[in-house]
Amino acid sequence: MSFIIYVLINTVFVLLISPLLMGLIKKVKALAQGRRGVPLLQIYFLLAKLLKKENVYSTNSSFITRIAPYLNITFTAAASLFVPLVFIPDPVAGIGNVILFLYLLVMAKFFMALAGLDAGSAFGGMGSSREMSISAVIEPGVIIVVAAIAFVLKTYNIPQMFALTLASPIFNSATLLLISISLFIVLITETSRVPVDNPETHLELTMVHEAMILEYTGPNLALMEMSHAIKQTLLMGLLINILFPWGLATALTPGGLLLAALMFFVKSLVLAVIIGLFESLTAKWRLFALPKLFMLAYALAFLTIVVELLV
Amino acid sequence: MKKQKTDSENRNIAGICLSLFEDKTKKEAYLPVSEKELTDLFHQLDKKEIGLISLFGAENFNGAPGLTLFYVLEKKDSPNIVLLEHKLASGEIASLVSRFPAAGWFEREVQDGFGITFLNAFDTRRLFLHEVYPDGFHPMLKSFRNTGCFSGRESGKLPGAPYKFKRFEGEGVYEIPVGPVHAGIIEPGHFRFSVIGETVLGLEIRMFYKHRGIEKLAEGKSPADCVAVAEAISGDESMSNAAAFCMAVERISALAVPNRAWQLRTIMLELERIYSHLGDLAGMMVDVAYPVGAVNFFNLREEILRHNKNFSGSRFLKGILCPGGLKKDVPAPALTALAAYLPEFTRRFQKAVDLVYHSPSAIDRMETTGIINEKLIRPLNITGPAARASGAIIDTRVDHPYGLYPSLNIHIVTGAKGDVLSRFNVKAEEIRNSAAMIQAILPEIKDGPVRTDAVIKDGYALTMVEAARGQSVHWVYIKDGVISRYKVRTASFCNWQAIEHAVIGNIVPDFPLINKSLNLSYAGTDL
Repeated sequence: MSFIIYVLINTVFVLLISPLLMGLIKKVKALAQGRRGVPLLQIYFLLAKLLKKENVYSTNSSFITRIAPYLNITFTAAASLFVPLVFIPDPVAGIGNVILFLYLLVMAKFFMALAGLDAGSAFGGMGSSREMSISAVIEPGVIIVVAAIAFVLKTYNIPQMFALTLASPIFNSATLLLISISLFIVLITETSRVPVDNPETHLELTMVHEAMILEYTGPNLALMEMSHAIKQTLLMGLLINILFPWGLATALTPGGLLLAALMFFVKSLVLAVIIGLFESLTAKWRLFALPKLFMLAYALAFLTIVVELLV
Repeated sequence: MKKQKTDSENRNIAGICLSLFEDKTKKEAYLPVSEKELTDLFHQLDKKEIGLISLFGAENFNGAPGLTLFYVLEKKDSPNIVLLEHKLASGEIASLVSRFPAAGWFEREVQDGFGITFLNAFDTRRLFLHEVYPDGFHPMLKSFRNTGCFSGRESGKLPGAPYKFKRFEGEGVYEIPVGPVHAGIIEPGHFRFSVIGETVLGLEIRMFYKHRGIEKLAEGKSPADCVAVAEAISGDESMSNAAAFCMAVERISALAVPNRAWQLRTIMLELERIYSHLGDLAGMMVDVAYPVGAVNFFNLREEILRHNKNFSGSRFLKGILCPGGLKKDVPAPALTALAAYLPEFTRRFQKAVDLVYHSPSAIDRMETTGIINEKLIRPLNITGPAARASGAIIDTRVDHPYGLYPSLNIHIVTGAKGDVLSRFNVKAEEIRNSAAMIQAILPEIKDGPVRTDAVIKDGYALTMVEAARGQSVHWVYIKDGVISRYKVRTASFCNWQAIEHAVIGNIVPDFPLINKSLNLSYAGTDL
């Protein structure tokens, strides 16, 4: 019973907060540039507008283009169950494995890349090829990061990781601080942000993520945008709740849940500001210079394991 | 001299041509040549010294029926311009493209406009006439009347043959067609990339989606009316192009422009350079996804545009020039406001540039990206900041001085590497120099008339200005008090071909940055 309530609460919370976090980062970037920026709630209006429109398909596209948005949102929504944002449920078999979590996200990415290729446009193909190349290079890094976290906390289960860090004193392990840098790089890469990709660009030749969804309109585009926003929330949630889990509810009480939701919002606000500033302070890197960034994530994660072994 | 005239077949044409460059009395010299002499001349001239900067035709020139071609030559360290005048006997002439690659687009432009065949040309595809125009349609001929919209489909004739792009073949080579409609709000142009992975193997640029028939539109207009046509050539070069046009009319009619008018014109020409370069610097920062670096340039550009408005009534400095000077005087408060603003501008501009120089990620993107080899400058006739960033010491304000410039101390800014960073540096330095130049002129301005009333005479003249993007060449031919032929060759027309070379070996995602570092005008290419 408590698990069903968890599913409901977590899913609704993720759906509600994800566009807001997108808007927050946009706002921070706008302010850093001395602009007023779009209203915080603009993304909700955008999604509502897109949902009212019709889908338009290229005559060259196959069924892949039609099913990819649904598969995408399904995989991402399933992955969202693995990351408790406000309430840690009792362990349930099959839910929470961090490796499974990663590959659910990869499945979503896989179908997005297929959809990019499907319509046969040069830009979609370019986006898919770049996204897959970047994925291939960052993947060993991601695995090592996850392995390091699992090694430090001695569990593969994400809710258990959160429960462990919540129960222990602040920074129960300094190595977690080290690994958080790697996690941050993974977050930036997986959410297609500067210096890896530029979410605000209109230059079709430089796009990665945007190029793959260039052919989409209407409700399909809304689903793609939404799953991208959810993915970002999940990765942010992972980083926040491993490092600063304070406020996470362990029991189902309305007051506790409310406080947990509020706490998560405040913490994600801080992280959004950091992401926004980070994006503002650097230019996009050369495509072939990116492995250097990924190597940093890899090296820090590796160092975490070594330090953990020695201590 | 006498012998040369009587025995024109055997005269030493190269010697005559070179002596015209040394002639201190004339800025522009016209040398009638036969076809054989033309070919001989181009084989004898030193390609490093002499460049072909424009080629155009004019029908019924000086009462002679048929088409006359003008080959415009420029020589290093000579302020003179020599125009080789060749009266065409037939519809064919030998191509010069193997000798002067810049002639490629020039010849194709003449071919489309007048229906002339250039023999032995590498590339005889149409240039500005796209497929919708029927075969045999040549809009620059006097027999074609400029009336309303023209559509090849309506004419009932079949459109011309489809355009064939260069093809690169091999394992793993694929094409990326980009444009003419782009994701951003920019002008239309088609870019055909051939790539292996991300590396660009070849790029072919197809322009001319903006053809407005500007040169045709000018024909039959009075010089005063034609200023607006010159201003419409390219939106952000309106001042330069209008100034070059007015200078041509002034030279034909021997009008003396009052000093005050030239002082104000020079200020506006430099303001145009400043706002144009500011837009380029901002654009480069946007294209490397560093908007925090771009925003300062955008703000300064906006402030300059507002000063333009005070100055001329137009943010893009339109509607103030006329042959003989200025249509109206610049209000005194605009001058004092600009004088008060410039020191602050320079200080804030320096801070904005420093911010970029302190951003290693932005510098890394620009360094070694999109190198224009210095060897290409003469053959392709690359001009302006693009050429200076590759080390060429050329600037029309110094090489062919006009207006107030001979009295001003102009420092030609050059770079060494020819990459995007060099172009960024050159443009930044030019903004500082232009601001200093304006500050030097402002206190010198005395009250006085701003216009000599124009009495238009018939004749022809070639003038050049250094627009923000480089040398802009204008040739005006007035007959019976109206324009009979107006030919414009903007810097963009030549510099597009530099991009085709600059991107080779770079990766596709760096192309927008390379393109923005030159920031050429699409409209200015396609008149």
